[in-house]
Amino acid sequence: MECQVKPRERAGIINPIFTCQPCGAQFASIGIKDCIGIVHGGQGCVMFVRLLFSQHFKESFELASSSVHEDGAIFGAVGRVEQAVDVLLMRYPHVKVVPIISTCLTEVIGDDIEGVVRKLNAELLPEKYPDREVHLIPIHTPSFVGSMVSGYDITVLDFVKYFAEKTEPNGKLNVFTGWVNPGDVTALKHLLAQMDIDATVFFEIETFDSPLMPEGNHVSHGETTIEDLQGSANAMGTIALNRYEGAKAAEFLQSEFEIPTIIGPTPIGIRNTDTFLKNLKALTGKPIPESLVRERGIAIDALTDLVHMFLADKRVAIYGNPDLVIGLAQFCIDLEMKPKVLLLGDDNSRYKDDPRVKELQENVDWDMEVITNADFWELEDRIKNKGLELDLMLGHSKGRFISIDYDIPMLRVGFPTYDRAGMYRHPVVGYAGAIWLAEQMANTLFTDMEHKKVREWSLNVW
Amino acid sequence: MPYHEFECSKCIPERKKHAVVKGHGEDLTSALPLGYLNTIPGTISERGCAYCGAKHVIGTPMKDVIHLSHGPLGCTYDTWQTKRYISDNDNFQIKYTFATDMKEKNVVFGAEKLLKQNILEAFKAFPKIKRMTIYQTCASALIGDDLNAIAAEVMEEMPEVDIFVCNSPGFGGPSQSGGHHKINIAWVNQKVGTLEPKEITSDYVINYVGEYNIQGDQEVMMDFFKRMGVQVLSTFTGNGTYDDLRCMHRAQLNVLECARSAEYICNELRVRYGIPRLDIDGFGFEPLGNSLRKIGLFFGIEDRAQAIIDEETARWKPELDWYKARLMHKKVCLWPGGSKLWHWAHVIHAEMGVDVVSVYTKFGHQGDMEKGISRCEEGALAIDDPNELEGLEAMETLEPDIIFTGKRPGEVAKKIRVPYLNAHAYHNGPWKGWEGWVRFARDIYNAIFSPIHELAKLDISKDEIPGDCGFKTQRMLSDANLPDEVRNDPTLRQYTGKFDCLKDLRGKTYPVFERKTAAAPAAAAV
Repeated sequence: MECQVKPRERAGIINPIFTCQPCGAQFASIGIKDCIGIVHGGQGCVMFVRLLFSQHFKESFELASSSVHEDGAIFGAVGRVEQAVDVLLMRYPHVKVVPIISTCLTEVIGDDIEGVVRKLNAELLPEKYPDREVHLIPIHTPSFVGSMVSGYDITVLDFVKYFAEKTEPNGKLNVFTGWVNPGDVTALKHLLAQMDIDATVFFEIETFDSPLMPEGNHVSHGETTIEDLQGSANAMGTIALNRYEGAKAAEFLQSEFEIPTIIGPTPIGIRNTDTFLKNLKALTGKPIPESLVRERGIAIDALTDLVHMFLADKRVAIYGNPDLVIGLAQFCIDLEMKPKVLLLGDDNSRYKDDPRVKELQENVDWDMEVITNADFWELEDRIKNKGLELDLMLGHSKGRFISIDYDIPMLRVGFPTYDRAGMYRHPVVGYAGAIWLAEQMANTLFTDMEHKKVREWSLNVW
Repeated sequence: MPYHEFECSKCIPERKKHAVVKGHGEDLTSALPLGYLNTIPGTISERGCAYCGAKHVIGTPMKDVIHLSHGPLGCTYDTWQTKRYISDNDNFQIKYTFATDMKEKNVVFGAEKLLKQNILEAFKAFPKIKRMTIYQTCASALIGDDLNAIAAEVMEEMPEVDIFVCNSPGFGGPSQSGGHHKINIAWVNQKVGTLEPKEITSDYVINYVGEYNIQGDQEVMMDFFKRMGVQVLSTFTGNGTYDDLRCMHRAQLNVLECARSAEYICNELRVRYGIPRLDIDGFGFEPLGNSLRKIGLFFGIEDRAQAIIDEETARWKPELDWYKARLMHKKVCLWPGGSKLWHWAHVIHAEMGVDVVSVYTKFGHQGDMEKGISRCEEGALAIDDPNELEGLEAMETLEPDIIFTGKRPGEVAKKIRVPYLNAHAYHNGPWKGWEGWVRFARDIYNAIFSPIHELAKLDISKDEIPGDCGFKTQRMLSDANLPDEVRNDPTLRQYTGKFDCLKDLRGKTYPVFERKTAAAPAAAAV
């Protein structure tokens, strides 16, 4: 009975859990107002990522490609960036921020995107757009390093590095959310408002859930401004919720501008949300108000209805972004559930030393595996060939066929969740997230009991 | 000049010749946009890459194959679970995708060993699958890995397996179309003629080419072929098997559906094996009827085709006409990827009554535009390689009632209150076949006459809020201005098929037709 941490041993990937770094860079870019990223590479690297975002959010987001074809791949393609920047600026007069996002193609051929940005800053921008504020930001996200998670982390760092500017203290708190949904941002801002904390949330993506208006409003985009990014250097403190998504930027602000910084925990579940509030209190000196005691009470009440009768001892597999997976596992354990397998994608060597993973290793009293650098086959093979029995899966839509084929109920959580409606609207963080997660897990199990006719009568009275 | 200059693209003169308006009395010599040229960077074009054209469009619908991409995992992930090419073997090709997971060290030192290890692992994980396709990506192309050599090495070590290699990196050509070409040629070069058919069961043997079984299209068409007693030796590639496709050289006729993506292999089969090419349309009552009739003519079995046409038309025409009566002169932007531009341009007007006010193609060539423009209505705006702003400008000017396009551009249309249908993956397909065509009309009807769509146009802060009814049905909206004789026409009816119209097809039995000649050994069948 122990928790083992082990990497995928096969060389290849059978059904990937993650996509590659440029996707993370693009996800960060769409969080910024007046920003359209140019992905420097083949067109598929943009077209499919835009499709992925539109599958998840049921919205379209603007991202451009430098459209590198054969000639560029052979002779170098920085000229395509020059042209792309000019065309984009001409046709999108509001655009101020243009990250130039590299891909495996342009990293392998060694295109000098810093050089082309210097050239554009020296020539095109002063000559053709003298009165316009334009920021060109080179971002290196080769697809053969890390994953979309590290791509996001690097890009947030690059944005902060580029813009952060020490002037006067602004009394605000930086909050780096990591890769979350609009519903999470709403929940986080609610907690911050209850604590009476003036915070800058990176990134303001509640507007990803955008309305269909009578007068027509075609663009969904984030609302984090250049001023927000500049002001990150003048904050009274920084909280990065996730260790692998946004923490690099937080650490940079700490070392460069001596901003008090706390990284983690991902506020999933009651306990982690409590710690989050404690950290907010420590950084701002603000007390935790009665209103949150009550809100927490409502959550505890809701969980009590479910835990020991329905959730206890249920065996769970969880996959997706590492901070999300670990946070969900911690919460499940508080709910008396038994996480059996955690799948953390990509080859980040830090997972095995993550204190949260170590805590699992020290305290879990059932067989549990944490697979790093994982793919979906690590899960399916265990179910199909190695006798792993599960009561529930937690993860994103790309794992849907494991749930379908092995008849394991699954709650969609994370990114992307295109095969269930409106998942992006609901939080997994905060007390609100705790309620939503627990109740959705319970309802998923209830539906499964009825579908399989297993103890379905037990819900006659509850 | 018929060229249409978009306000939003005045600053990029190169775009000027990529859009035309089909004017009164104008022919194609004066109204043909440029096509299939390199994309202008930064326009926010909708094009994809040659890797996806090869792997995702044509390769992956093959159903009994391990589809392995040699490169970083992103290409594989991004092209996985984004289409609806189903199969009758429980969708193996949709469920499983394989990436060699190339990392920085492989880029520096080469990834051929990694590839070989991947191949062995994949076959080990799926011991019943003995066929594999390997796709090059940008990264593996640039570092110069020899995929063919590795595949040959494995085939020598494991004689029971067969591997196909497609070298079509993402940067190859202006769009996904480059990849269609590469995989067509690679297949005919590497695989056609390397296996003989197990059995020739009919005097009439075809390959069904350029058909990807979106939501079951191929299975619908197979039903007609089987009812005609025509043996389909292979389907390239939807619901098709790897080994059947190695036998393509033994068909008497190539029946070509999507000429954009698969004419290359038909042309090669004609040159190399003397197999004629017959282009058909599976969409629309009349084009489909004519298509079956042409196949019947070729083999001298028109009566069999006619029997199907008569039966299907009688069954479904009253339902199609019910929708046609209600869709008359609704404006459509027909904005697909390539071939549906011309597959649908005329027939949706003729058989559903809608007017095509614009056509566009993301990756089509000038030939596709020729066919599309010649078939669409006068005054229609034709756009090659459209971009985001041009699409918006066109929709704002043309005010279409509906748009047929991809998932993501569909979200753009939604925001300006234009309902969309998925032209690539369909809404509630299949849309081929007589019944399918009615399903398409039904989907259009439900999109246009959606009560929610009507509500989307109301500004509660300014407009009069009706407040006089608790709901509206689609028919309250569609029939409001219809003459009584149409509204109450007893000969017409709404769609009466099932939610899943494939289930019955999969268990169906077919008549056995007498052979003219005794069954010959397979190898001598042609």
